[in-house]
Amino acid sequence: MKRILRLRHWPLWTVFLLVGLALILPFVLPWSHEQIDWDAVRAPAFTGSHIFGTDDIGRDRLARLMAGTQITVMVAVAAALVSLVIGIAWGATAGWIGGRVDEAMMRFVDALYALPFMFIVILLMVIFGRSILLVFVGIGLVEWLTMARVVRGQVMALKERPFILAAEAAGAPPLAIILRHILPNIAGVALAYLMLTIPQVVMVESFLSFLGLGVQEPLTSLGILVKEGADDMDMAPLGLFLPGGVLVLILVCLTIEGERLRDVYS
Amino acid sequence: MLALVARRLLTAIPTLLGIILVSFVLMKLAPGGPFDGERPLAPETRAALQSAYGLDRPIWEQAWIYVSRLVQGDFGPSLVYRDFTVTELVAQGLPVSLTLGGLAVILAMLVGVSLGLLAAIRAGQATDKAIMMLATVATALPTFVTGPALALFLGLWLGLLLVSGRGDGVAWLIMPVTALALPVAGAIAKLTRAGLASVLKQDHIRTARARGLPESRILLRHGLRPSLVPVASYLGPAAAGLLTGAVVVETVFGLPGLGRYFVQGALNRDYPLVLGVVTIYAALIILFNLFADLIYGWLDPRMRES
Repeated sequence: MKRILRLRHWPLWTVFLLVGLALILPFVLPWSHEQIDWDAVRAPAFTGSHIFGTDDIGRDRLARLMAGTQITVMVAVAAALVSLVIGIAWGATAGWIGGRVDEAMMRFVDALYALPFMFIVILLMVIFGRSILLVFVGIGLVEWLTMARVVRGQVMALKERPFILAAEAAGAPPLAIILRHILPNIAGVALAYLMLTIPQVVMVESFLSFLGLGVQEPLTSLGILVKEGADDMDMAPLGLFLPGGVLVLILVCLTIEGERLRDVYS
Repeated sequence: MLALVARRLLTAIPTLLGIILVSFVLMKLAPGGPFDGERPLAPETRAALQSAYGLDRPIWEQAWIYVSRLVQGDFGPSLVYRDFTVTELVAQGLPVSLTLGGLAVILAMLVGVSLGLLAAIRAGQATDKAIMMLATVATALPTFVTGPALALFLGLWLGLLLVSGRGDGVAWLIMPVTALALPVAGAIAKLTRAGLASVLKQDHIRTARARGLPESRILLRHGLRPSLVPVASYLGPAAAGLLTGAVVVETVFGLPGLGRYFVQGALNRDYPLVLGVVTIYAALIILFNLFADLIYGWLDPRMRES
């Protein structure tokens, strides 16, 4: 814990601060993200209680920004967890069994890497309706590949270590060995790649929402806000800069922190 | 070399077929159909339409008809752009998308490799740290933020470039290509820097130094080439990223590329159009991966045999 508090972890603090604000501010602000203030349509910043002004139909920008950040972060964490679970299960199985099974499973991952998976996800969204649940699952399904590769490599290396051989010799069942001995040892690396997966997921979610294929109104997300801001940027550049800035800040901070963590563990 | 290309192209066919079939089946599973209008059609009319489009046959037969027409270059009719076939739309969109993507790769390679090289030469110094920070930020820049931001600065505020559409000349390419290339350039810079840093520690570089070769020759000829191997292996996944990026920049800048048809098709449930574009995208990604593998073999002769 003490290590996290150091100054060099400013990216992590920034993200925590943003997420904290996004969680708390909606309870404090006098406006909700979909409430229209008919007396202050297109209000500039610091008009009355609208700190960042209002958008083209009179909704409070700060309230929308916080609601959007909330949804984006929520989708990101959920989808990253989906990818973590699939990635660890796939990678650990392949690495543990080895041989032909491993080869087949990893070929499959290689093949998926080369696919326009993003477009299949879009196809799914179009066909099965654009529910937020599908956004989680769809993104999770796309982003587990790297995790699977990394976990497999780690498991392969661990498998030959004496303490694993000892556990095997003692007659522990494979599942118990994987859960008790292997997983704790790959937790650090998995955490590093989880942290690198989150910005990827944020990117995909905002991409889908930007195109109108992801999160749907009345919910909002940073991608939707960027889209709204871009459509109205000649009138109110703030509408683009606020969500765009928050999005880029989150992405940059998590990437920096994730890469540091990865370098520590590799 | 030729044998490798032939083999890879042959293995690409089942992959492509798989993607087409999966997309086709997904499309058929979709609730609602092209003939669900405001008013329900008379049963006879509906039956006539369905048999005209072959929709009354079993799904595997429909898939077979689709694929066999596809082989002849016929992607079927577009349901929304009634005056065009999907083939015509794809033929219009593909050159635009290819120009954008191709130029973006070239720009990203040039900028990324030079910056990575510079950072590696100045390893540990302020220049190195600044470049690496810049590269990290660049990789995290989504095209749907940089695209509109560029349009706002260069187009609306400074009035230098057209915000939407193509106009005359090649100036319309500047903003979309920049927005597309930025994240890729950042990633390439990082990979080049990391690759070069590890290559420069190897024996053959020490030998070259001991023989008194000029530093520029050591770096460019003996150092850079092997350190580009990770860059080449990144190009395959990068192609997929560029295509998704192209969807965004084409939408943002109003360019008539494949990506815009894809989004329009997806939003309007124009299934044949979406399927056609997915097929083209899949083929492009497979081709680009093959191309990246060839570069890979050229960079590292040890990889050629395997």
